[in-house]
Amino acid sequence: MVRLPQQFTTMTDMHESNEARLRELLRQARPSPLLPPRFQESVWRRIERSECAPGPVTPLAWLDALAARLLRPRLALAGVAALLVLGGVLGAAQGTAEARQSARAAYLSAVAPNTIR
Amino acid sequence: MRRSLLIVSAVAVAGVAVLLGAFWLTRELCVRQLGWAGDDLRWLRQEFRLSDAEMARIRQLHADYKPRCQDFCRRIELKKLELKEGLNGAGTNVSASVEQTLAQIGALRAQCQAAMLQHFTEVSRVMPPEQGRRYLAEMRRLTLNLHEQVEASMAQPSASPHDHR
Repeated sequence: MVRLPQQFTTMTDMHESNEARLRELLRQARPSPLLPPRFQESVWRRIERSECAPGPVTPLAWLDALAARLLRPRLALAGVAALLVLGGVLGAAQGTAEARQSARAAYLSAVAPNTIR
Repeated sequence: MRRSLLIVSAVAVAGVAVLLGAFWLTRELCVRQLGWAGDDLRWLRQEFRLSDAEMARIRQLHADYKPRCQDFCRRIELKKLELKEGLNGAGTNVSASVEQTLAQIGALRAQCQAAMLQHFTEVSRVMPPEQGRRYLAEMRRLTLNLHEQVEASMAQPSASPHDHR
């Protein structure tokens, strides 16, 4: 390791000290406006958002995104459940109406045969 | 792209299959649970929310009425056979015996309908008043309206191709 002479290190210190004072003076001469709160955080957020922003939507990209979304277990499960409920409700309504119809027809044919209707 | 298309198509087909499967299953269950099931009077209990006591009384009335109804039906069927034979032997003319048979069929039908309406009235009396009124109106609509509609359409001038003027 090279040992610098004593005189040289003193000059370097002085130079650094002057530079710091100069920076301080410049800062005081041109005061910067106060930044809004959480400025830095919001800047990073905007950067992240711009990086994640989707490109132009094409049918192929849309299809790929849809396929990827459909394969998510949570979404698939919710879809199956919704279809089961919908099918069940519609089937119950239809079945109830049909059962009522057939029961009424059975009663009618028992009390009022077609011969006299 | 081809893989995505395949996935979306498969999911759509599976979705339709699940929907139709659930629909068919619940429909079948409801039809089996609420349908006829060998009891002619089941509709009455369901539709008019009758108690066990009311149903027992109605079952009794039904059991009394049914042989009378069957007897009328049998007699009407015999007269209809007689009418058929009369029409086959009459050629192009409507003979006096055919006219007589037609009148007898009409009279038998009228007696049968009167007995049927009497039965409906008796059944309605067993039900709570509001339900009884509803039952009577419904049965009259279902059993007599067909004739009323036909007669009404025939009575309208130039409403049908069968013009009486």
